[in-house]
Amino acid sequence: MKKILIALIVAASSALPAAAGDIHGKVTCKGSSTCADTVVYVAAIPGKTFPAPAAHAKMNQLNMKFVPRILPVLEGTTVDFLNSDAVLHNVFTPDACADKFNLGTWPKGETKTYTFKKECAAALLCKVHPEMEAYVVAVPTPYYAQAKADGSYQIADVPDGSYTLKVWHPRLKGKEKPVKVAGATEADFEIAR
Amino acid sequence: MERNHRRILVALPLGMAIFLALGAPRQAGAVPVFSRKYQTSCQTCHAIFPKLNPFGEAFRLNGYRMPMETPELVKQPPVSLGSEAYERIWPAMVYPSDLPSFVPLAINVKMADIYASSHDDSGKTITHNDFQFPQEANLFSAGTLGSHFSFFGEVTYAERPDGGTDVEIEHARLDLDSAFGPEHLFNFKIGKFAPDLYDGFQEMWLMTDNGVDSLFAFSPIGIHGGTGLSEEGPGVSLPDRMRAIEMYGVAAHRFFYTIGYGSPIGPGGPNDTFGSSSRKDVYARMDYKFGGMGLDGDTTGVTLPPENWREHSLRIGVLGYYGDGSQADPFDITDEEGNAFKMRDTHYGRIGAYASLYVGDLNLFGVALHGTDKLQLSDPDTLTEISTTTRTYDAWFAQADYVIVPPFQLSLRYENLRVADPVTPTIKTLNANASFLIRANIKAMIEYNRDLRDSENYTLATVLRFAY
Repeated sequence: MKKILIALIVAASSALPAAAGDIHGKVTCKGSSTCADTVVYVAAIPGKTFPAPAAHAKMNQLNMKFVPRILPVLEGTTVDFLNSDAVLHNVFTPDACADKFNLGTWPKGETKTYTFKKECAAALLCKVHPEMEAYVVAVPTPYYAQAKADGSYQIADVPDGSYTLKVWHPRLKGKEKPVKVAGATEADFEIAR
Repeated sequence: MERNHRRILVALPLGMAIFLALGAPRQAGAVPVFSRKYQTSCQTCHAIFPKLNPFGEAFRLNGYRMPMETPELVKQPPVSLGSEAYERIWPAMVYPSDLPSFVPLAINVKMADIYASSHDDSGKTITHNDFQFPQEANLFSAGTLGSHFSFFGEVTYAERPDGGTDVEIEHARLDLDSAFGPEHLFNFKIGKFAPDLYDGFQEMWLMTDNGVDSLFAFSPIGIHGGTGLSEEGPGVSLPDRMRAIEMYGVAAHRFFYTIGYGSPIGPGGPNDTFGSSSRKDVYARMDYKFGGMGLDGDTTGVTLPPENWREHSLRIGVLGYYGDGSQADPFDITDEEGNAFKMRDTHYGRIGAYASLYVGDLNLFGVALHGTDKLQLSDPDTLTEISTTTRTYDAWFAQADYVIVPPFQLSLRYENLRVADPVTPTIKTLNANASFLIRANIKAMIEYNRDLRDSENYTLATVLRFAY
């Protein structure tokens, strides 16, 4: 009877979702007045893959700017690039991890798409307007967050476990660090040139 | 007579070399005012400054506005000089306008090392290497004033090789854009400016340091008609600047026209006036662009490559210029024997054809111009007419600009000028330029300009320009 009870408890506990917490903390950005361009994410988890989301992410070209400037997505995500300006725009990337794609030039109201198949921080540029710049940061797990201007960030619903946490910024660099998530977990970073 | 012609042959290369060393009149071109206003790169409008790309040309023809511009595109919001609602109660109140929130000034500096080779009066080759640091600085002001007005100004401060300086208002104009009727069709400008007559082969379309001298620096005036190039003097082939009123417009996105009415070619007149005659010159041009971006920036139904200096297009047109100098002050002139006369260019006309072909990275363009001058020779004391002779000249050039990679571009131009004096040899020049954009607003270039009649008559210029 005792054995049956233990077996039932074990079975019941395995049917419940794993305990999840969040990872939060603060990124200190040395050499930048804002940390808003920073992305913090959980690195690839061995043996674990995540299906690409069916919904497309969106990046607009509005008033001769990419909006948003930083777009973190999960690997496999398709991004729609919309031109909302009356002038022609182009989107291309010089980064090999995104196949150095060049989507051509298209007018207002039209959209072109690209699927970011692997981990990549792709710089997006417009050959028509060289000052335009944005980044799609494709990460291997759905556990990511973009920092606020003050550097604070929060990645919600991260299952308990041990992970590697990475930080990305267009110009600043920081070291990855291991984290052990058990409920709310704090991890701070310092990034610099 | 033969001796005099020999003298001319010797003097021509020397004069040309000096002229080239001084630098033909050229507009500085790049206007960083707009980079600030729209927070955009020079490359939005320039292939390599000052050469405009098709979008830059549309921007210029739109009165320095983006095609279908919205207020959000302007990153330096203007200062309102009245609510738009006042438009409805005009003339009970002043019509509203606005002005740039910052004084719209920009500076362009040019430094040059000029190595010049030529002949002196004895025929001996002389060379000179001159650091012209700086050669000139240009102060620009440009922008829009409310919904239908725009302005453009340029003051150039130049240091002559002899140490002297020149200051000139090169541009000062007010434009009335899309004054009435369909958008872009009826625009007006008034002031001192480079007429749209030359749009496509002067000013904002050249990446070279030297202008097209065979068109803009030839004086057809001479005892037997004009003999060569000159920087200034009584009468030129085409004026590089005019004090004029001009109407221009774009119809159906691809047809361009301009009609102008301005002070005449030639030196100043009495009472310190600018024109030697009260009569005005007239000019007109029309052309059509096949393929590529529309002249107003329209891209409907057109697929353009992402590189904004590229397109496949052909623009062809005709132009004409006419002036009546019969009431102008006569010029002093002497014949080969030193006898003094007075001369007038009583009627002068220019007709020309123009074409510009874009094939990807290559822009091939050129102009053929035929000039006619009715030269009246008079007694210097009584002004009694001695003779009137019609002289003609033909000038043409072809230029190829090629983008190797965006920062590195090449240009090659050949110019041919059959001068008006029937016994003076045809002027043939070659201009080769290699330009390198060190940064978007810093340019270095090497330019070789040679008189093809004389291998010792050339200039080699190393130029550094920057704009901010």
